[in-house]
Amino acid sequence: MERFVDHCCEKCTHSKDTPCKDFVECCVEGPICHDDQSCADKRKKIIEKVALDEKFVIC
Amino acid sequence: MYEKHIMICGATGCLSSGSNQVAEALNEELEKHGIKDKYRLVMGGCPGFCEVGPIIVIFPDEVFYCRLKPKDMAELVETHFVGGEIVERLLYKGPDVDAPARFYDSIPFYSKQKFNVLRNSGVIDPESIDEYIMRGGYRALKRALEMEPQAICDEVKDAGLRGRGGAGFPTGVKWGFTNKAPGPKKYIVCNADEGDPGAFMDRSILEGDPHSLLEGMLVAGKACGADEGYIYCRAEYPLAIKRLRIAIEQAEEYGLLGENILGYDFNFKMNIKEGAGAFVCGEETALLASIEGKRGMPRPRPPFPAQVGVFGKPTTINNVETLANIPLIVKEGGAEEFAKVGTEGSKGTKVFALAGKVRNTGLCEVPMGITIEEVIYDVGGGIKAGRDFKAVQAGGPSGGCIPKDLLHLPIDYDSLTKAGAIMGSGGLVVMDDRTCMVDLAKYFLSFTQKESCGKCTPCREGTKRMLEILDRITEGEGKPEDLDTLDSLAHSIKDSALCGLGQTCPNPVLSTIRYFRDEYEEHINEGFCNAGICKPLFIYQIDAESCNGCTACARACPVDAIKGEKKEPHEVIQELCTRCGSCIDKCRQDCIMITRVGSEADVGN
Repeated sequence: MERFVDHCCEKCTHSKDTPCKDFVECCVEGPICHDDQSCADKRKKIIEKVALDEKFVIC
Repeated sequence: MYEKHIMICGATGCLSSGSNQVAEALNEELEKHGIKDKYRLVMGGCPGFCEVGPIIVIFPDEVFYCRLKPKDMAELVETHFVGGEIVERLLYKGPDVDAPARFYDSIPFYSKQKFNVLRNSGVIDPESIDEYIMRGGYRALKRALEMEPQAICDEVKDAGLRGRGGAGFPTGVKWGFTNKAPGPKKYIVCNADEGDPGAFMDRSILEGDPHSLLEGMLVAGKACGADEGYIYCRAEYPLAIKRLRIAIEQAEEYGLLGENILGYDFNFKMNIKEGAGAFVCGEETALLASIEGKRGMPRPRPPFPAQVGVFGKPTTINNVETLANIPLIVKEGGAEEFAKVGTEGSKGTKVFALAGKVRNTGLCEVPMGITIEEVIYDVGGGIKAGRDFKAVQAGGPSGGCIPKDLLHLPIDYDSLTKAGAIMGSGGLVVMDDRTCMVDLAKYFLSFTQKESCGKCTPCREGTKRMLEILDRITEGEGKPEDLDTLDSLAHSIKDSALCGLGQTCPNPVLSTIRYFRDEYEEHINEGFCNAGICKPLFIYQIDAESCNGCTACARACPVDAIKGEKKEPHEVIQELCTRCGSCIDKCRQDCIMITRVGSEADVGN
């Protein structure tokens, strides 16, 4: 998972053709539809790569 | 993970001062030291302070380097990135700081600013939708998708957002008109045809944070019942258009544009229409005609675009800054936060492009209600070269000038209108005591005259007649009755021109007559231009008593019209002098005087 649109695992089904209502929140706070630390870490990794400081992310 | 983030201003202003070359040199130096992979280099949006560009801001160190050259990069890498020390000589320095300023919070230019619309500019990579989402992006869209259209209109209305394009019409009310208009097909149009001389607010938003505009348009689409949008952007903004195209492509891939957005019953298609450069296409009905492929000419209203807009369908037209405010307002709790800033009648912030004789040129975003004085002196750093402030032209060619005794005026829609100016889209052209107000009025009127589409007689012919009179006055052939004729023509055009541009184009003339009537009268009755701009109406003379014969003026004169021995008073040979002003700019003793033609006694400066 290098971008938010990439699936964190097979449980994520979001795409432009099969959109998920929770996609926007899920990018930063996810995963929302399932509990999985490694999926959460994947998102964290994307954020940590570009966040300038601790105030960067706004929920 | 990166150790540091290097944000290089990649907006048009800094690019033209060489930020691309600075970035290349920085890359090379990082590579040379084998540390390139540790740092993330981003060509970001504009941090606003164009005067001191190219700019690099380093995070998390919080260091702001400015006026950079490619040759500075070796030292920057060696000292900052390898040595861990700040390069003091590249920090911001100026008469407004005691010591080199390290970061935004210690640079006076930023001290009174509040970033709403420019919140992401220079902070995110404008070509990354992920970073926009991390900054809270598309949450307002998600919320809007779960709201009733009228509730969104009400929320925007309650927040007090007024159109940032010029007229200041309440945005929520405008959306409500389109929402209530009958018919299944409606459009949202973004007016990004920023054409005022000296204005570049919209360009900066588009270049620095394109997704904020897309999100604003999507929310507007949901509120108005529209499923298609057009961004009408002038073709002279290639970088803005490139970034918009990237943003649209990303939003489509992410399921944030297209069909069944985020799984809701809401579709939206986004189009970009490049304008061909006509100023009149910034007028909403001309803009709609241009989108339809017709010649950009206004049409009478009513019917208003909310009833009959592009392709004959109900259409909401908002400008870039208006729409970029929407994600902040429609997010959870956003309307209340937005309304906390500003004045009773003008909420939120306003982005201004500071240009002209001000020391700190660039973009600033300030709370509504701030005074003109604060913007020019605290943000703008005062007048260049220590000269005196004379006036500021607010609102471009449709606006008016505000003189020195109104410096205390708060910047809000109503105060500016009362003073004879308008908020306009946000251009502020600052003038010093060497500006001739008659010449200024002529400049703006010649602009609107050339840009008149010619459809209606008052604008086409009236501006021409007014310009002829101003030409005569600045040539020394003014007549005493000219001021009354100008006033009468200006009011006729205001009352009868077809579109907003025609109705407002006499404003620069009217406001300069209102506040600087004595200057017009001096031109007409005494044949003298005190500012030394209208060439037939003054001569330069050197005050022999104060001239120390430094020869600076003689060396600057391109036509050898200044004679004199070293350390002896110099003299201007009037037959040769072209009154270009090179000498007066160079004189350190302030001994070159602007005097009346044929008179040696009257000293104007």
